[in-house]
Amino acid sequence: MLSLDFLDDVRRMNKRQLYYQVLNFGMIVSSALMIWKGLMVITGSESPIVVVLSMEPAFHRGDLLFLTNRVEDPIRVGEIVVFRIEGREIPIVHRVLKIHEKQNGHIKFLTKGDNNAVDDRGLYKQGQHWLEKKDVVGRARGFVPYIGIVTILMNDYPKFKYAVLFLLGLFVLVHRE
Amino acid sequence: MAAAAVQGGRSGGSGGCSGAGGASNCGTGSGRSGLLDKIDDKPVKIDKWDGSAVKNSLDDSAKKVLLEKYKYVENFGLIDGRLTICTISCFFAIVALIWDYMHPFPESKPVLALCVISYFVMMGILTIYTSYKEKSIFLVAHRKDPTGMDPDDIWQLSSSLKRFDDKYTLKLTFISGRTKQQREAEFTKSIAKFFDHSGTLVMDAYEPEISRLHDSLAIERKIK
Repeated sequence: MLSLDFLDDVRRMNKRQLYYQVLNFGMIVSSALMIWKGLMVITGSESPIVVVLSMEPAFHRGDLLFLTNRVEDPIRVGEIVVFRIEGREIPIVHRVLKIHEKQNGHIKFLTKGDNNAVDDRGLYKQGQHWLEKKDVVGRARGFVPYIGIVTILMNDYPKFKYAVLFLLGLFVLVHRE
Repeated sequence: MAAAAVQGGRSGGSGGCSGAGGASNCGTGSGRSGLLDKIDDKPVKIDKWDGSAVKNSLDDSAKKVLLEKYKYVENFGLIDGRLTICTISCFFAIVALIWDYMHPFPESKPVLALCVISYFVMMGILTIYTSYKEKSIFLVAHRKDPTGMDPDDIWQLSSSLKRFDDKYTLKLTFISGRTKQQREAEFTKSIAKFFDHSGTLVMDAYEPEISRLHDSLAIERKIK
């Protein structure tokens, strides 16, 4: 009953209108994609927005962090950096504790989560004691609280994510503007 | 079969039955046959409170009247322009996606920047195109000159229906092929005149309006 009614609209469309519906959907996806890529280019970081898992009391689980990764900005003790350990996929958001800096600008640094009792040496790769610039994804510049909970939910329950995306896609494809 | 054909011939003047064999409902049915027959012959039923659905159905029906009753040929130039711009934008997005996938981030920066900027430029072009070139025109139809000598006359349909308003304005523009003069006629009526309470578009109330608009423009031409 209900499902056939809204499909009527689609059946009445001619080829061009159908193509336009598909294009509409494509343009929405493209806009989101382009904004994401644009942010990547502007901030210089490959993942300009991350969801923080835990760094109480500075950030809570589900906060969204905005990062930059400009080569010119030096890393200083006390800054919050997002880094990725070799071989692991999930980036970690922790604070810089110690830095060793050479004359040529090459640095090694040690991190620790605000809410942890010990530094991150236990998290690093086997045999690795310091992090280097190449492991850094970006430096925290700003944050929006709580919004990331949706992303965490979608990652924990992938079926929910697919259902939402599918329904959104269907709605855009069928509904005429 | 023969009876239906005769009936079709006799009622040709009232602009309806195009002799499609089995169709018993000969309102403003189209000539297409097959599966599409059922959906096109069914009276259009929409949610009467949904403004955009109302406007779309009125526009589509006006299009049908002009194309089928007067046998004009639709010109897809405007629509194709819009489709092309959108396709090019999506193309830029796809290029960016694939390039970034093949050359991971830092190396792909210049290409990405180029694609992103091009995409937003195309969006700008699209907005300008829809606002100024297309306006609210949804049909451009040509009347082929029977003698084949003069250029075609062009009929344009455009409409507007404000949000939460019930007044629907339909404007018909006639551009003469020979003299390049432009004449227009429009009417503004409440949509309540064309839909019944269940949301079905009543063609019997709508079609005469369109015909009246058309004839008022056509007659002026004849007098000239």
